[in-house]
This record gives sequence, structure tokens and C-alpha cells, in this order.
Amino acid sequence: MKVLMSGNEAIARGVYEAGVRFAAGYPGTPSTEIMEEFARYEGVYAEWSPNEKVALEVAIGAALAGEKSLACMKHVGVNVAADPLFTVSYTGTNSALVIITADDPSLHSSQNEQDNRNYAKFAKIPMLEPSDVQEAKDFAKLAFAISSQFDTPVFLRSTTRVSHSKAPVTLGDITPYEDKTNISYNAAKFVMVPANARLRRVEVEKRLNALKEFAETFSENKMEMNNPEIGIITAGMSYSYAKDVFPDFSYLKLGMVYPLPEKMIRDFAARVKRIYVIEELDPFLEEQIKAMGIKVIGKEIFPYTLEFDPGIIENAINKYEHATPHPVHKIHSIPHRPPNLCPGCPHRGLFYVLGKLKCFVAGDIGCYTLSYMKPLEGINSCICMGASIGMAHGMSKALKDKGRGKVVGVIGDSTFIHSGIPPLLNMVYNKSNALVIILDNSTTAMTGMQEHPATGFTLLGEETKSLDIKALVAALGIENIRVIDPHHLKTTREIIKEELAKDGPSVIIAERPCVLFKKAKTENKKPFKIDPDKCNGCRVCLGLGCPPISWKKIAKTEGSKKAGYAVIDETYCNGCGLCKQVCKFDAIS
Amino acid sequence: MIKKNPVNIIITGVGGQGNVLASRVLAGMLVSAGYFVTIGETFGMSQRGGSVMSHLRISRQSVLSPQIPGGRADIIIALEPVEALRVLTKYGNPQTVILANEREVYPIGVITGELNYPSSQIIKEKFDKYSAKNWFIDATSAAVKLGNPILSNIIMVGALSATKQLPIDRRAFQREIKKDMTADKQKINLAAFDAGVGMI
Repeated sequence: MKVLMSGNEAIARGVYEAGVRFAAGYPGTPSTEIMEEFARYEGVYAEWSPNEKVALEVAIGAALAGEKSLACMKHVGVNVAADPLFTVSYTGTNSALVIITADDPSLHSSQNEQDNRNYAKFAKIPMLEPSDVQEAKDFAKLAFAISSQFDTPVFLRSTTRVSHSKAPVTLGDITPYEDKTNISYNAAKFVMVPANARLRRVEVEKRLNALKEFAETFSENKMEMNNPEIGIITAGMSYSYAKDVFPDFSYLKLGMVYPLPEKMIRDFAARVKRIYVIEELDPFLEEQIKAMGIKVIGKEIFPYTLEFDPGIIENAINKYEHATPHPVHKIHSIPHRPPNLCPGCPHRGLFYVLGKLKCFVAGDIGCYTLSYMKPLEGINSCICMGASIGMAHGMSKALKDKGRGKVVGVIGDSTFIHSGIPPLLNMVYNKSNALVIILDNSTTAMTGMQEHPATGFTLLGEETKSLDIKALVAALGIENIRVIDPHHLKTTREIIKEELAKDGPSVIIAERPCVLFKKAKTENKKPFKIDPDKCNGCRVCLGLGCPPISWKKIAKTEGSKKAGYAVIDETYCNGCGLCKQVCKFDAIS
Repeated sequence: MIKKNPVNIIITGVGGQGNVLASRVLAGMLVSAGYFVTIGETFGMSQRGGSVMSHLRISRQSVLSPQIPGGRADIIIALEPVEALRVLTKYGNPQTVILANEREVYPIGVITGELNYPSSQIIKEKFDKYSAKNWFIDATSAAVKLGNPILSNIIMVGALSATKQLPIDRRAFQREIKKDMTADKQKINLAAFDAGVGMI
């Protein structure tokens, strides 16, 4: 039977089919739905951990206890989990352990497009990479088998296109769960002090050699011999793109992208005249194949940056082979449409105020990052999860008096819990003067409303203790703590100014639930209207950057300076009333 | 039957307009009709009011990659007019047909006055010039009449069925929404579908 599934649903299914009942992760596009989907299966334990490092450690602990386990995260999440990652490679996993890295070529929803295949090589861990939705399911299952066979963590790498595409999938049988858990002791293998780690280090190299041998006969490293003129070596989604446009070339499709099957690659190279290596982002396969002394065409014709599509591959090869590329026409200049804060978003009021205060606002990862854009311009930096607080502190220390009352860090509730707590403690310990604003919208909004330790619910939907953010901040030693509703512009401005003027670190907690968060939704307010006669065309309300508010030009009349007036599109306005607060002419009601 | 093999469809709009649901319903109907459907979607951060696109590739015999190559869309369904133009520029060809909603949603750069939004007259002219056939309908007003602007996505699906570009009809739609919608929701969505049919 075939079922239409997304790549992420398929991965969750594959994990379940493998008999796995234990998973930990942290939400992050494009990986989020894997955990949400897995959590819906019967009899599983699945948790949102506060961050990816914790998630991986939880999964390692479960594996050492004999339970097959999954750790799931987006590409940059692996950076957070990198510390345990490199050493679990030494210890091995006891039971099976698979780590999903969901990469984001083209940065659809990320701060960088790092190629996490490098982590496989760096940490000496095998990596599988599916090229479509069916393989997403099948490879998830295979990854657990390889982990069991070689006592190694195994990476399953997805990309946004695999995770977020949908296609018919043939389901497999579900391996029944077998409880193999017990407490076992093995200090030489699990206590990575130098003396033990030196010995395990040797085992890692032995395992890698065994995996190289395995790769030569691995069923998902496949040769498809067609036209012997041109051979393509590729993996992942690039394979599907290339097959779309060049079905007649010969292919070496690598289901396992690390370690590589050297003999198989040499064999393929001997059977075709010319080889293209097609891969998004880094020349990961290309460099290794070139190091084998095999001549291939790769990044000299394919881009290093952004994701591919069938057209990009077709044009690059056709150009090289002197065929005509597909024409592209330009029709009209089209206004760019970046994402924007939603109508009624609780962040809009706060960043409207911050943008006007002319502070340096160190931002963080969340929807609020979007307020860096005009007209709000309320954020001045964004690096990674949790960076806002450390950066604000560092900047304030470096600026000394010049930075007084001028440096702010802003961070969302989920991001604060993820990695904002140690840097806030550091601000207290090292006597900071910066202000931190925690934007508590009651959920992990950007990835689609996931639970976290302050929401009161677990991923499995059970009620649990809810972190009291204010009490935590106080326990870390912050003495100046204020709680505001960022929707009230006047008090928001006053309190931020007061806290900026104080000595020592301050924390403001801006509390208002995400407007899309159904659990917290109380009422549907009536949309607002602008009276065009009362509106004097000052454009202040447009400074909120609220999607329903736009500008209507009018013909100039004698004796009037008015060039137009603002209008609200009632179909999108949700009646938050922020615009009413900024209107000086009482034109909005 | 599909007119071409494969048929490449792009559903586009602004994050929050119900693009993903429209693509899911349409894909569901085509899967039930026995076709291989591959969908490529953009969501995540772009759901916050950015441009969004779903690529649907309908084939008689196999799964394809989830991205349509540039210049090779057969049908463009746009929940917002300028998004139709954006997709037409990259994916259109002289044989492309377009079904677009007339109601503008202004991007932030237009709100701040830095960018211009093309007039609906210009958009219509470009459609006429660069596509084989186009339908430009006010789905949002019809949706508001039914009580909720979000229904414009289903109105577009209804209108699409009336254009006879794909093997989908009211019965297939009814069967599809029965799978996961409550009786109340089915009723309003069917009304939206019918409203769309009436607009072609």
C-alpha cells in the first residue's frame, strides 16, 4: 500500500518500523515534524529536550541502557550537540543510536547553510543520505541496523527538500519492540578519561575501516549503467534532480555519503568516459574522489551556494557540454516579499519601542529576528541560539561608559531556556550593565508552537511542571526584574528606559502569547478602521510595519499638504489596536 | 486524464493564506485518481507573511523530484496576484495557464513606501502577454462573503476544477475533505468550492 507522506513523516515511520520507541530532540526547521510525528505512534517515549546537546545526551543514555534511540535536530543543532557527538563516536553506543541532521541548503529558515556531511568525516561517524521520501523512510530503518552492527552512532542527513516534500511511500513491516534494557557496566568503554579514550581512539579507526568495506557492498550504493559517455556520482536530493533531466546518463548513487566505497568509485570511473560529481554546498564527495586520483568535474561548474533544482543541474551540464541552456525571461519588476511579523504579533510593540530608542539590540533566533527590517529596525545582530545575552554583555563591557544605557539583548522564551541561562548567570557573575529582555510568548513560535519547559506540557501531551522564568532569573542573581505587556507601548517605553538607566544587569520579561498560539487564544477582536478624513497622512502607523496597514495616495488639493492616507485591510487586521495607540489624530477606531 | 505527462503545477501565495492546505487537498484528489504526485513545499520561517510556493508534479507512471525546473510550470495557481507574476517570471512559458486571485497583499517594502506594487491592470497585461490562458478572480471577496478570508484557498481549488485543466471535480473534492474534516468544516469548504466553480 502506498501512502502520501512528507519526508519527515516518512523518517518518523522508518524509525518506528525499526522497532525504535525512544527519541529526543529540539525543534528546528526543517526537522521539527519528525519528532511531532514520531510522538503520535503507539507506545513511544519522545521528548523535546531544552536543547540539542541535552537531546543527544538523553539519547546516548538510553542507548547505553540498551534502548534503540533517536536524537533529532536541524543542522545548526548539531553544533550545539557537537560536544557529546565527538566522544560518543569513541564509546560506541551499546544499543543503536541514530542522529538526524536536517540541513537547510538555501537557508529557507536558518542563519547559515553549513554542510553537515563534514560532521560525519570530522567525528568519524557513518552517514546515510536519502534522495527522496521513500528512501527517507527506508534509510531511517537502515541507519539503525548499521548502528547495531558496528556499535557506532549513525547520521541520517536530510535536507529541506527531502524533509518537506511529499510523495507516495510504500510502508514496511513494523519490527515489534523488544525490551533489551538493563544496567551494564563497562568503564573501559564508557569512561572517556585519557587512558581509556586513547584505546577507544584506535577502535574508531578499526571501525571506520570495517565501514569502508561495508560501503563497497552496501545495497544503497548503486551503479546504474546507461550511456557510458557521461557518469554522474551523486547522493541525496541531487540524484532525484539529475535523474529528472538526464535519465540516460550512467549513475553512481551513494546512499552512504561517509565513508565512501573507494573500489566501487574506481570501478565506476573505469566504465565511463567523463564524470560529474553533483552535490549541493561543499565539494564533500568531490574532494575525496579527487584525492583518490580520479578526474571529475564538480564545483567548477556547479554552485557552492544554495540548493539545486533540476534546471540548475541541466543548465550547468548543458553549458559545459556546449548545449543550449534553457531561457529565462524577465517580465516585470516584482516587489520582494520577505516574511514579516504577523498582524497582532506581541513582538511588534516591543521592537517599535526599541527601534526608536537607538540602542544596540543584540538579537537571537526566533520570529522576532524579522524586526531587524524596516520600518521597525529593532534588532542589530543575530548569530545563533542564545548569543544575544553573551554578546550584549561583551559589547557593554567593551564599550564601558560609552555603552551605558545603550546595550540590550533580546531573546525568546524557548531560546532563553535552550541556551540563555549560562550567559545570564555570567552577566550577574561578571557584573554586567546590559539589559536583557526575555520575549515570553508562551511557546516555541517560529517552528510551529512546540512545547518547552515553561509551557506546562510535554511533547507527549502530558501536564508537567512549568518553569517560572521570573523566579529562575531571580535565582541567577538578577535583582532588577520587571514584567511588562509589550502591547502597551507607553509603559513598555518607560520601563525599558528606567532599566537602561540602572547600574548592574536588568531583565525585563515581556509577556504576551503568540497571536497564532491557539491554546492561549481568548477572543477574536474586531478589525480596526481608519477614518480617511481624520487621518492627516503622517504615516506614523505605517512605521509599525503591520501587514494590513497600507498607504493610499490621493491627488493633491488646494491648501492641503495631505498626500494620502492610511488604510487597514479588514480581512487581515485582527484588532490588536497597536496602531490606535500610535495615532495622534484619533483616526483609528 | 491529465493533458500532459507530467503536469507541473505551482500553487503560490503569501504565508498564512492556506497554500499548504490547498496543495494537500489538490494532491489528495489526484492521488485518489491514481496519479503519482510529488509535492515540494516551502514553509517554516516563510509562513510569516513571506512568499510561499508548493510545487506539485503529477505523473502517470513515476515519482519525480519535488522541484519544477525553471520555465516548466504548466499551471500556476496564485492566491495573491504579484506572487503569480513572481512565479510566472521564473517558471512560466508560453503554454503556461494561470489562475490568480485578484486581492493584493502588500509586502513590507510596499507598506514602507520603498517599493512599488504593480497595478492590477499591469498584472493582467503581463498575464495576457506571457501565458496561454489566464483567469483572474476575486476569491477573497467571495471568501469574506462566506464568512472567512482563509476560504479563498478552497475557492481557488473550486475555480481550478471549473477550468477543466485537471481531472478533478466536486465529488472528488467531497471525498477528499471527508478524510479529515468535521461535518461543519466540510459544509463550509464545499460552499467555498462551489463559489469557486461559479467564478469561472
